[in-house]
Amino acid sequence: MITIVSAAILLLIFVAEAAIGQSFYEGKTITMIAGTEPGGTLDMRTRALTHFLKKHIPGEPTIITEYMPGAGGRKAANFMYRVARPDGLTMATPVSGFLILAVLKEPGVDYDIGKFIYLGAPDGVAHYIFHSRKEAGLSDLDKLRAASGVRIGAQAVGHTIYVVGRLFAYALGLKDARFVTGYSGVELDGALVRGELDARPNLAETLVRRTPEFVEKGLMDLHGILEAPAGKKHPRFSYLPEIASFARSERARGVIEMFRASRVTGGPYILPPGTPKERADILKEAVRKTFNDPAYQTEYKKLVGDDLAPVTADEIEKAIGALRPDSEIIELYKKMVGPGPLPSQ
Amino acid sequence: MEISLFDAAAKGFLSLLQLKVFLAMMIGVSIGTFTAVAPQGLGMPLVYAIALPIVIKWEPITGIALLIGASSVSAICAAYLPILFGIPGGSGSQATVLDGYPMGKRGEGRRALGASFMAGGMGCLIGTFTLALAIPAARPLIYLMGSPELFVVMLWGLSMVAVLAGRRPIKGLIAAAFGLLLATVGQQAQSGVMRFVFDQPYLLDGISISIIALALFGIPSALDLALTKLGVEQQPVPLKGSLFDGVKDTLRNWWLVVRCSFVGVWVGIVPGLGSQVVDWLAYGHAAQTSKSPKNFGQGDVRGVIAPESANDAKDGGDLVTTLLLGFPQGVTTALFIVALLAWGYLPGPEMVKKNPEIIYSVVWLQGISGIVGTLVGFFLAAQLAKLAEVRYTFMVPIMFIFILMGAFSVNRDPVDLLVVIAFGILGYFMRRFGYPRPAMILGLVLGDLMEKYLYRSVASYGFSWLARPAVIVLLILAAASFILTLRGRLKGRQETPASLGGAMARTADES
Repeated sequence: MITIVSAAILLLIFVAEAAIGQSFYEGKTITMIAGTEPGGTLDMRTRALTHFLKKHIPGEPTIITEYMPGAGGRKAANFMYRVARPDGLTMATPVSGFLILAVLKEPGVDYDIGKFIYLGAPDGVAHYIFHSRKEAGLSDLDKLRAASGVRIGAQAVGHTIYVVGRLFAYALGLKDARFVTGYSGVELDGALVRGELDARPNLAETLVRRTPEFVEKGLMDLHGILEAPAGKKHPRFSYLPEIASFARSERARGVIEMFRASRVTGGPYILPPGTPKERADILKEAVRKTFNDPAYQTEYKKLVGDDLAPVTADEIEKAIGALRPDSEIIELYKKMVGPGPLPSQ
Repeated sequence: MEISLFDAAAKGFLSLLQLKVFLAMMIGVSIGTFTAVAPQGLGMPLVYAIALPIVIKWEPITGIALLIGASSVSAICAAYLPILFGIPGGSGSQATVLDGYPMGKRGEGRRALGASFMAGGMGCLIGTFTLALAIPAARPLIYLMGSPELFVVMLWGLSMVAVLAGRRPIKGLIAAAFGLLLATVGQQAQSGVMRFVFDQPYLLDGISISIIALALFGIPSALDLALTKLGVEQQPVPLKGSLFDGVKDTLRNWWLVVRCSFVGVWVGIVPGLGSQVVDWLAYGHAAQTSKSPKNFGQGDVRGVIAPESANDAKDGGDLVTTLLLGFPQGVTTALFIVALLAWGYLPGPEMVKKNPEIIYSVVWLQGISGIVGTLVGFFLAAQLAKLAEVRYTFMVPIMFIFILMGAFSVNRDPVDLLVVIAFGILGYFMRRFGYPRPAMILGLVLGDLMEKYLYRSVASYGFSWLARPAVIVLLILAAASFILTLRGRLKGRQETPASLGGAMARTADES
């Protein structure tokens, strides 16, 4: 008898909880923390999402965006880990680098990436092309490898473009490559044209959109591509050799895969640790439905200027699981991120 | 089919002759005016970010009219806060406080506002005209300046400390050095080294220049009122001069407007300089080339005309790179590109080839919005200038609210409120003991850029960059300018000890 009553009570609680969960968001306001300033790409991704996400959450809550830029996403991530209430009413999208910063145990990281609840990300695909200016005379890989002191430009030490440039230099075995930082993306292009730099990596989409003449008029020699995820070919540059094909050691392959794993998570939407499962599930499902919504896909393309490349919550968690390489690879990766000379393969 | 530039210009203008386009532009003008009068930080990026999802569903010309209307007017009307409250406006309009506020305190707010709007309107038109002319020849202009040349230009800018320090060269140097030191806070972009971060995530990106400028000038102005005037029966400042006097001042100084407008256009075109230097470079140029630099900082109308004309002309320069090359120069122009892409235009050479009429529509809108913005500014100024008569008991809390809201809205970080108060107190004591705050801001603004350009020059060229012809010419010009300024100051010292005020030294604002 007691068992039957207990079961009935549990069933009632379950049903009530499910019912409460379904209507929990009615009349509520969700705050979306964006780890960026208004107007950046991340902001545009968030703006595209929030309008449609609301429709897919039962109860259609209001969603407002708050900006918390700074420290490469650490400020927003720390806030979500330490301050935000785990009530399902605070979501965040820190810039994607907050994950790798935690793996590398960089200063200012007060959060554990294994404890956040991941909802999905809209930008899990990227292609980086390593190219040099024509006048530098580095037209093929042999000439590139033979040259000494090739000047490779990037925005800042630790920036994604910087890390990709270092990975290419390391994998290709460039001699005494010099990394010159302190440029904006646009300035990098100008510095290449002026001859202030010899080479740089860039996102394929940006290369095609911002400086089409680099490719169409043959102003640059394209040397290789980094695909994230592995095997996801770029429709236009599939002929370029993939960076992993340059690697001559397991260590080199390991460090490239570590970068790839960090990149395929994109800029994920997260919830604070401890958020009730039923609310997290509602939001996960809403994000999934939003990613499949054709109207959202059109809006995303319009606002972000890029195709949607969604990553599910499960895929992100899997990628984060893979972001726990052995200490040797972590140490090597730190050398890729840092300012010191590159080791040899 | 490609059309001639003349046909494109005509077509671009004709496409604007629709009621809905006019209405959209006026809505933009209203938003821009509100943004300019509201506390610092409610800037164009946020306005664009909010407006974008809505306007991209409109017809392109209507949407463009709203966006250009808002940004164009926002810059023109940015002088209200500095002139009437002594609070620096948004970036690009901060130097206006140096002479605008003393004018406002003397009851010449209307004259200062008149000069500001007229200079802003003229600057906007010069910037627009440059944009129209630049269509065939923009790209070589942008690639002309390398890191070594830009470093020397920044060095030249830093030599303005000689002007900014006024009669206290040592204190000026200390203030500038402190500004340079503050510019080093945060993660160094070139090496990744953490400098003065003390394990605080807040300091990783350095301290916002906007917040420091707001604190250094805004808080002392408010404290000054609170400590010296509250409790004393207010004698209303008699309003002197009219808006028209400001217009006449600007027309009398037309050559200064032209020069500073080109400074603005240049800052707008060169990637990486950013809007934070434009007003200071123009102000320094005006003070350096003036025959009576001692008046700067004491309410000289030229100290309003120079930064405002440069700031408004910069928008034209920004659009040169945005439209003709597809390079955004800041968040606002990046968002404008997003809108253009959403409408199916690809900013850059392709747009020049395929959609020149849209580019000319932007040019026309920029010019028309500039004129409308100037008129709106004049209309509002007549009313707002009366704020000088408002009782201090009302004014002081309003100023503090504006300052704190402005500081919070920069990053939405509560720590910024503590920082603005701390630097406000520092600013108060700097003013009290005669350390020129503008020299500190100049050090802060230029420090980051100088370090970046010097690093890039050495990293790319070793020390051979010093032998580049353009570098040598610019170094000679910078040295000549510095020596002439210094000689002028020493000569002035011999003539009359009373004439040693100098720009931004102990002035009415520094008392």
